[in-house]
Amino acid sequence: MSALVLLSVLGVVLLYLGLFSGRGILAPVGILGLLAAFVLFAADWHLESPLFGGLVIFDTYARSFSLVMIVVTVLLFLFGMDYYAKVRENVAEHYALMVFSLVGGVLICSFTNLVMLFLGIEILSIPLYILAGGKRDSFRSGEAAFKYFLQGAFASGFLLMGLALIYGATASFDLAAIEAWSAVAANGGNMLFLLGLFLTLAGLAFKVAAVPFHFWSPDVYEGAPTLITAFMSTVVKTAAFAAFYRFIANIQLPGAVENMLVVMTLCTLFLGNIVALRQTQFKRLMAYSSIAHTGFLLLAFLGTDSRTPDVLFYYLGTYALATVGLFIVLTLAKRAALGDENIRIFRGLFRSNPWIAIAAMLMLLSLAGIPLTAGFVAKYRVFVMGIANGYLWTTLFAVVMALVGIYYYILVIREAFTPQDQESKALAVAPINWLVISLCGVGVVALGVLPGLLRL
Amino acid sequence: MIAALLLLIPFISALALLVLRPAQARPIALVSTLASLAVVVFAWISYTGGMVIHYDYDWMNAWGLRFVVGYDGVGLLMLILTAVVFPFIIGAGYGQQHDRPAIFNALLLFTQTFLFGVFLAQNALLFYIFYELTLIPVFFLLLYWGGENRRNITVRFFIYTLLGGLSLLFGLVYLLIQSGGNGDFTALHGLSIQGGTQVWLFWILFLAFAIKLPIFPFHSWQPETYYMAPLQGTMVLGAVMLKMGLYGVYKIVFPIVPLGVEHWQSTVILLALIGAVYAGIIAFRQSDLKRLVAFSSLSHVGVLCAGLFAWNTYGISGSLYQAFAHAILVVGMLYLVGAMHERMGSTDMNAMGGLKNSMPRLAALFLLVLVNAVALPLTQSFVGEWLMFAGLWQVDGWLTLLAVSTIVLGAIYMLYAYQRVMLGPDRANMQLQDATTRDHIYLVPLIAVTLILGVHPGPILELVDAPVLQLLSSLSVN
Repeated sequence: MSALVLLSVLGVVLLYLGLFSGRGILAPVGILGLLAAFVLFAADWHLESPLFGGLVIFDTYARSFSLVMIVVTVLLFLFGMDYYAKVRENVAEHYALMVFSLVGGVLICSFTNLVMLFLGIEILSIPLYILAGGKRDSFRSGEAAFKYFLQGAFASGFLLMGLALIYGATASFDLAAIEAWSAVAANGGNMLFLLGLFLTLAGLAFKVAAVPFHFWSPDVYEGAPTLITAFMSTVVKTAAFAAFYRFIANIQLPGAVENMLVVMTLCTLFLGNIVALRQTQFKRLMAYSSIAHTGFLLLAFLGTDSRTPDVLFYYLGTYALATVGLFIVLTLAKRAALGDENIRIFRGLFRSNPWIAIAAMLMLLSLAGIPLTAGFVAKYRVFVMGIANGYLWTTLFAVVMALVGIYYYILVIREAFTPQDQESKALAVAPINWLVISLCGVGVVALGVLPGLLRL
Repeated sequence: MIAALLLLIPFISALALLVLRPAQARPIALVSTLASLAVVVFAWISYTGGMVIHYDYDWMNAWGLRFVVGYDGVGLLMLILTAVVFPFIIGAGYGQQHDRPAIFNALLLFTQTFLFGVFLAQNALLFYIFYELTLIPVFFLLLYWGGENRRNITVRFFIYTLLGGLSLLFGLVYLLIQSGGNGDFTALHGLSIQGGTQVWLFWILFLAFAIKLPIFPFHSWQPETYYMAPLQGTMVLGAVMLKMGLYGVYKIVFPIVPLGVEHWQSTVILLALIGAVYAGIIAFRQSDLKRLVAFSSLSHVGVLCAGLFAWNTYGISGSLYQAFAHAILVVGMLYLVGAMHERMGSTDMNAMGGLKNSMPRLAALFLLVLVNAVALPLTQSFVGEWLMFAGLWQVDGWLTLLAVSTIVLGAIYMLYAYQRVMLGPDRANMQLQDATTRDHIYLVPLIAVTLILGVHPGPILELVDAPVLQLLSSLSVN
């Protein structure tokens, strides 16, 4: 609880700092605050008491996901030191809004009451609507914010309707009560509950960008400032998945909902991977790759398996690590290419910045799921669970889609390792960015070799 | 200790080359591979039979992945093959001009590390991990140092091979669930899977190796990749990497899905032999020496695979023995391709002819390498081919005839190539340098190995015999 309060205060403090003093100390203060929150979360590791009258509980699950989100936010703030160095206005707001969004993320990892789920998602989302439009003079950025807001509002509507219907069926917002209610065999065919589940899952699927609720993500990813895109595809995605699983983990799902999840998994895997093949803009590629990874993560949801939270945690943590690094590399290359985002801008990277190219390669291989990187371990575990839970054909389909996935990541690697026609200048890499990129590159290999380091 | 040394020597040398980027990278790499060779020779001398397990550590135990390394006779043969061939592969770099030689040689050494890993792994997932890892350094070798059109060919090669790899992974995960989460080969070999399942599982598992070898109709990546790759890259692909396919069939397909093998045996043999004849005919039509080697390798591999699937002592031992012979042959042939390229500036046979006049010694060496390719008696290939045909004969006489015809084809295109390059009037009319000391140092040991093992195949066959007999008897018991 103290950590939650600290994070909320941190956001306010950052806003005030923006009013009174220079931009230089924003990121350091933010990072210090986040680290303090990290320590507070880690310190009361064994306390598992419900807070706010049973709306929230910081159990191991919630705390682990919160810690990962905080670490990723710290990495993004480190990146922000360089990213916002030349921006004049509203820098403090950006940092503060990210912290507020993080608070929402922490809340939806730990909810035990559906009211808190809804509130958390709104706290998570509303800062994002603003952040997506962060580049005020950019048409694309405004478009992204508008699209995200409209569709997000729609999804919130679904979610709220779904929660209301579930309340109608079960007469409770309390997760444990709903779980108990759903376990009663006589309640299996309740239409109100079924409809409520469908709508709620649709709302959650929107947040994790599962097909057919993914339409916002490529445009928003492309239009939003790169740092915010990185934030959305890591912290927000982690939070949304943690909430998604927390919601369905112990509810006895009716067969129709199970089937819906399978269909959603198949569609997400297919669309994410196939459409990514045709992308030439790196940010859009990452958006579809993010959708594709949603598909693999959904595969871990199918069936009931005690290993799911652990697998989810590992997958999301390592995915975030690779993604943050790649978005930093993108920003550097994009600067040198005067704003171009085509994957061609990576050409000759190995010649000019060998270490950056190798680190980027490691991160891309991790996303592709090549052995000895964390991505392989993550995908491998998902496949094992898929087959063990009896989804043989769905898993086979996922394996085929993993191959498709490898193809588009390899195309990016190929660009980086193809010499450019004319001698290319080395990218200017600030030491802090170099550090974060190296950390991410080494991290995905270290976690791939020693997967035991990252577990619930 | 042996396993650790084999994995660490090339790996640490590669890392050192990568980080320090010394100007003289090649001698360091050469010393490293010679050290590995010494370790393997020591392992061979001290090997007394059976399965030797060196390490057994937990890694991701709950998920079936354990670090278990060791070898039996066949594994040791593959280790010997890798260790013998790699000094030659590194040595072939003398006379080649490379951009960034340190990284180039580091990638070669990484490949060697992972290949050792494949042949040492006694856990199916560890095997898979090393199997896929071999692809990464080779991918960069081809992408950065390859020839014309390398960008597209490399990606196609990579995706094609990974298609097989992921299919293998799917099969292994399926088996892992069946065995209750134990991924060790000993556990998987003990599974008895339903006949109906084995029929489809066979292809799931075999696809990876069919592509790696490659056999018809999964071969379309091979000729272009071999042609485009830098010379040493082609050597790695042709001499060692495709042997992973044979080894995989021996280690995974045969013991785990025997009923599936029985069901598909004749189909696979027929496909392999069709590919062998087809590649032989295409090889005859080639006018480029490197392409000729690519297609001849494709043809040889077809016979290797057919021999393996003869599925009896003669066939399997013959195929594994021939795998060794083929590795030596590919390296020798490709070195000659490189030597011609150094002198002529191209490998186009139309521009050659009558070269024997200006370089009689090299012509003689060429011929000595060639006799191995056409499986002349007293060469290593003769032993292997003979065993494989004996094995195939027990399966079907007509198939054997088809297999033997590839030898005839081989003799035709190889000797025809020799004729076009070396004999006849001196068309090029260039005063070319005859075989240098380096050529002799390189080729004479290769030829010596060929001839010695052709006359005295015992040491190698002894290694293979016991495990093959054990495999076959364990299957007949089931």
